[in-house]
Amino acid sequence: MTNRRRPFTRRTVLRGVGVAMSLPWLESLSAWGDESPAEAAGLPKRFAALFMGNGINPNHWWAKGSGAEMELSQTLQPLAPFKSRLNVITGLFNKQATGVGIHPGQTGNILSGAALQKGAVLKGGVSMDQVLADHFQEATPQASLVLGCEQPITGYHETNFSMAYSSHISWHDAFSPVPMEVYPSLAFDSLFDNQGSKRTRSILDRVGEHAAFVGRQVSRSDRARLDEYLTSVREVEKQIERARAMKSVAEERAKDRGQPTISLQRPDNGLPEDIRDHMRLMGDIIALAFQTDKTRVATLLLCRDLSGLFYPFLDVRLAHHPASHDDRSDAYERVSRYYVSQLAYLAGRLADMREGETTVLDNSCLMFVSNMWSGSQHDSTKLPLLLVGGLGGALDTGRVLDYATRGDQNRKLCSLYLSLMDRVGVNLPQFGDADARLADV
Amino acid sequence: MEFGRRQFRFASLAGAILLGGTASCLRAADGAEPAGDSRFQTAVQPFLQAYCLDCHGAASQEAKLDLSGYSSPADVAAAFRIWQRVLERLEAEEMPPDDAPRRPTEAERSDAVKWLRALRDDEARRHAGDPGDVPVRRLSNFELDCTIRDLTGIDLRPLSEFPVDPANEAGFDNSGESLATSPAWLKKYLAAARQVADHLVLKPTGIDFAPHPVVTDTDRDKYCVARIVDFYRRHAVDYAEYFLAAWRFSRRETLGRSTASLDDFAAEAGLSPKYAAAVWSVLTDSQEEAGPLAELRSLWRQLPEEAGGVDDARLGCRRMSDFVIETRKRFVPTVDRLRVKGISDGSQPLVLWRNRQLAAGRMLSAKEDGTAARFCRIFPDVFFIAERPPYFESNGGTKGRLLTAGFHLMQGYFRDDGPLCELVLGDDERSQLDALWEELNFITGVPARQYKDFIFFERAEPPRFAMGSEFDFARSEDKAAASAAKIERLRAAYLAKARQIGASDQAVEAIEVYFTSMAADIRWVEEARLAAEPSHLAALARFAERAYRRPLLRAERDELLAFYHELRGEEGPDHDSAMRDCVTSVLVSPCFCYRLDLGDFGREAAPDVTTASTTAGENGQAPAFRARPLSDYDLASRVSYFLWSSMPDEELLAHAAAGDLHQPDVLLAQSRRMLRDERVRGLATQFAGSFFDFRRFDEHNSVDRERFPAFTSDLRQAMYEEPLRFFVHLARENGSLLDLLYGDYTFANQVLARHYGIPWPAGEADGWLRFDAVGRWGRGGLLPMAVFLTKNSPGLRTSPVKRGYWVVSRLLGERIPAPPPSVPELPKDEAALGELTLPQLLARHRELKNCAVCHDRFDSVGLVFEGYGPIGERRDRDLSGHPVTEAAVFRDGSQGSGIDGLRDYVRRRRQDDFVDNFCRKLVVYALGRGLLPSDELLVENMRTRLVADDYRFGSLVETIVSSPQFLTRRASAE
Repeated sequence: MTNRRRPFTRRTVLRGVGVAMSLPWLESLSAWGDESPAEAAGLPKRFAALFMGNGINPNHWWAKGSGAEMELSQTLQPLAPFKSRLNVITGLFNKQATGVGIHPGQTGNILSGAALQKGAVLKGGVSMDQVLADHFQEATPQASLVLGCEQPITGYHETNFSMAYSSHISWHDAFSPVPMEVYPSLAFDSLFDNQGSKRTRSILDRVGEHAAFVGRQVSRSDRARLDEYLTSVREVEKQIERARAMKSVAEERAKDRGQPTISLQRPDNGLPEDIRDHMRLMGDIIALAFQTDKTRVATLLLCRDLSGLFYPFLDVRLAHHPASHDDRSDAYERVSRYYVSQLAYLAGRLADMREGETTVLDNSCLMFVSNMWSGSQHDSTKLPLLLVGGLGGALDTGRVLDYATRGDQNRKLCSLYLSLMDRVGVNLPQFGDADARLADV
Repeated sequence: MEFGRRQFRFASLAGAILLGGTASCLRAADGAEPAGDSRFQTAVQPFLQAYCLDCHGAASQEAKLDLSGYSSPADVAAAFRIWQRVLERLEAEEMPPDDAPRRPTEAERSDAVKWLRALRDDEARRHAGDPGDVPVRRLSNFELDCTIRDLTGIDLRPLSEFPVDPANEAGFDNSGESLATSPAWLKKYLAAARQVADHLVLKPTGIDFAPHPVVTDTDRDKYCVARIVDFYRRHAVDYAEYFLAAWRFSRRETLGRSTASLDDFAAEAGLSPKYAAAVWSVLTDSQEEAGPLAELRSLWRQLPEEAGGVDDARLGCRRMSDFVIETRKRFVPTVDRLRVKGISDGSQPLVLWRNRQLAAGRMLSAKEDGTAARFCRIFPDVFFIAERPPYFESNGGTKGRLLTAGFHLMQGYFRDDGPLCELVLGDDERSQLDALWEELNFITGVPARQYKDFIFFERAEPPRFAMGSEFDFARSEDKAAASAAKIERLRAAYLAKARQIGASDQAVEAIEVYFTSMAADIRWVEEARLAAEPSHLAALARFAERAYRRPLLRAERDELLAFYHELRGEEGPDHDSAMRDCVTSVLVSPCFCYRLDLGDFGREAAPDVTTASTTAGENGQAPAFRARPLSDYDLASRVSYFLWSSMPDEELLAHAAAGDLHQPDVLLAQSRRMLRDERVRGLATQFAGSFFDFRRFDEHNSVDRERFPAFTSDLRQAMYEEPLRFFVHLARENGSLLDLLYGDYTFANQVLARHYGIPWPAGEADGWLRFDAVGRWGRGGLLPMAVFLTKNSPGLRTSPVKRGYWVVSRLLGERIPAPPPSVPELPKDEAALGELTLPQLLARHRELKNCAVCHDRFDSVGLVFEGYGPIGERRDRDLSGHPVTEAAVFRDGSQGSGIDGLRDYVRRRRQDDFVDNFCRKLVVYALGRGLLPSDELLVENMRTRLVADDYRFGSLVETIVSSPQFLTRRASAE
């Protein structure tokens, strides 16, 4: 009983330098002989939400035309290579994030559309990324990646909303935000060592041993009963192992055939000194996770609302939040453009990843959104929003859509979420404050 | 008839045992030689061949019954559950059927019946007290929910979304037959166990479970803050109550309480004796002839002299309280903000400085003259601060910022409860409160978070005091930002700049205090967390012990700790995650989710007890079975899963540890205590809910809510709750079993009372009340409960068939075969019946002979419920407008009408059937296995004692827990 322990290799395999992860989807598909029909029928669809706090520079946020002919404002220039895969959407709003005071009340429900509760007890609603995560729970080793480049804070804002609403856009349920990973190294590890596999396996391993130990102490007929339990434990263990094993097979095959591999070295422990490195690494991790189908849902809080990030490399003296109070300045345009370039960076990584005749980007939807249109006005009556990627053809792209003048009933952010979730395969009658899909998406 | 025959049989059986009976006693009594092979071969087998096997043979197994392949009496005995049914059919002369090509003579039939009865009785005697084969099994989903509730102290019900487990043959989900384990189940259960582990809270000296998940910082804050605020609310001071206690004490003579102390009066009112004494003293001693205390005393002296003037005294005390509160406001010292130009007024060091000044002045007077000093000390500004507004809103317009320090944007708490601690709390309470505040820091790690927020605020928010290259190293995202070295570095830079811009000495000191205390708090959390780990491991072992419901084996304890250390091993998860994984693994261990107490696990070799078989052995027969007594721990589990569907509590386990639980007086006392305990709801749900077939009613969906708008989810829940309340009452009050049939009372909440037309008592808040004399509303006992009337209606009409079938088969225990596949359908909607009423249609159906065989048995019973509509509402007319008739002709030819008619019939002819059925079902449930012929004696004892004991429910339980079946297990064959 006491000698039974196998030497543990938790994570050590993955801790070496330069873990090469090569797993284009089709390769893994061919290796995973027993995929569900739904998955076999099509390439997986992925969704990522990128959040920037405190709005953009409204003077430089516009687009005209369509497709490759689309004309982009200065701030949107980083997306020039993706015009045909881009949707520039303006005029949407989140009703519950208006009329409740500035900042946290405008933020914590950006992906849920739920009314937020002031005071000591948090209450909002489940966010749409977590609805999707639930949907993909069984399909991927990890339901979702929830990342941030800035530490969450949990004090109170003067509006009496908790600052947790300013720091968390991803909500598990009405009462708890999803814990956000800020350290790239830990985010990287989480792809390989998550609740869904390794820890579960070690628990099952122990339980299996315990059941066997108990089985040796009981009568033969009772042992048969416990065997049923043991068999179930082993079977669940196997189900979890299977995913791992198949991935390795796929990797091996890909290697043998000299497939190009995309590798990402495990980021260093600690926090990147430069915010540029930090954001880029988080983008890389999402790209890697999407390509290897570790997860299909990610949120990345590039900065929180009321952000305290600094941008010396943009020649901006003030921290993010104070800078946003002069949102029509050139400085804040540079900040806004820098954030758009993060979206462009992730889109670029995914566009480089072949997936059959398409790319991972073609089968994804990357959403960029901020909680305000104007940071100086703290204006959340309409939001800047960008979509890149066509969800495997389910979503038309290359368009500029403005809903500002269509009436409040017809410009709900949650209507867009309903439309997007439809295209990922989650059909809800109602979400947040919306019970209708967004027209013309 | 039926009852009489059984009595005879058991009289002879009991006699046989008393006489040290031999098989020949019984044979003599029955006049046959039942167990002999020869009788079987010469009479029984030919009988089967001639009259049974054509339909119930290997080739054509009608009703899934195959009677071929039994070549000896032993074969028959081994499968007696099947043969019991054969016997019943033969006794009732229902088989072979009237239209069979060949039918036995009366003599042949009687011979076969005699032989089977004799075999049964012989088997029963040889196996009397046989515990039977009860395999280990997993806990049912319901039992797991109950057990997790009692293990964690939180009613989490992580398995409530799981389906109710399938039932065994007797209809219960608590036996090995139906409780299979599949990978799919295990996977779901593993997720449920994880969910439970998410509620784990690690405390400075042990572990606990929170009512909500405690995974994120905000969860941890919520948990700790709520506990402190609850403590404050429980200890809030109402001056008027103290004045009243003092007044009562001063009038103790006239109250007839001359020996009562002030403490006594304080305790009666739930007040602090310490503070009561302080208040008494300022009201009655002779200091201070002027100032607010003098004024207060004058009000005090105006309180009525007479003890009878209590209402006036109450008003007077309220006036005194108002006086104190109003007067006290004049003496509150003001504390100005500490300001430094260039540093935000909201900067943590400055806000905390002011908080400290305010806290220090709670019991001080702002006036210099001293006349109010004592008044202000005894009646503080406030006793504690549970909510604090942000620093810039000192008038406190904003609410809900529980315990916070009053920062803007930043996290941070501030304790300000000096007067409560000093004046009100006793030593124990004070320690409790101290521990809660310590827990706040320990669990939430808030000092480090507060400090990181400080870095963010000073660097990013206006006026951005910590701007400049000397501060660039400080980043709140940096996990090392709160290290001693980095705190020191920031402290130095911050102070240098503060001095440079000319901050006052007071401000510099405030800043120094800030850094010093932050560093100390942060270090304390780190060290306390490390130091607490061993206590968490000890708590983990205790948790496993309670989860396994027995002491851990040494090897198990070692293994559990080894698992923890292995998880923590090189680069493993942190302590918190490892603890959660350990808790999960305990919950998923078969020692938790299996009833291993049913098996031989971990047993010291206990001597086998051979029972009645000994005598058989003397006659040269092999012992029929070998049994050994349960260990006291196993007995504790057995009795608690029987009565509570949950784990044994501390008291039961203490008796198990003391080794005296098996003593009859201890066991009976415990079972009585357990029946009185509210956890007996487990028995109500799992036993009564299955027995009476309403287990899943809370998700009953076949009512058309458009047609029956009264049927809301609340009403459905209330309907489901009614029989549970009734049964729990029966068990806890040790009521009469017959109340289930005839009781003229029931339980209802507002929505159900409205449904029943029972007026809700004026002024009574919603909740569950007992209502007596409810016969006038057509209720009382199980029969007219809406849950059964609704469940046994197919939606838009009633169903006398289903209702009657429910009474006859569920309550009275008749076995009725399933209907043939080709039954004609009745219209789905009563409103579409046309000219005929439902009773008339049913009467037509019974004209068909094949149908009448069964329908004669239950239609009439169902027809008496016609005065109740499809959702159990009282009615005069059915949905097509016909007046309803509740009259029926029962099987004995008697006539009756409505529920009362049915009750009369049952009381006259069927009460024994109900009692017998109930006893049998309870035995099956208690033992977790099917009934054996050898259980007949137990059933008989239960009935006898029940009658002798006025049908008290408790006597049934006591007879069962005292039975050898319950107290022993089969010795394993190995």
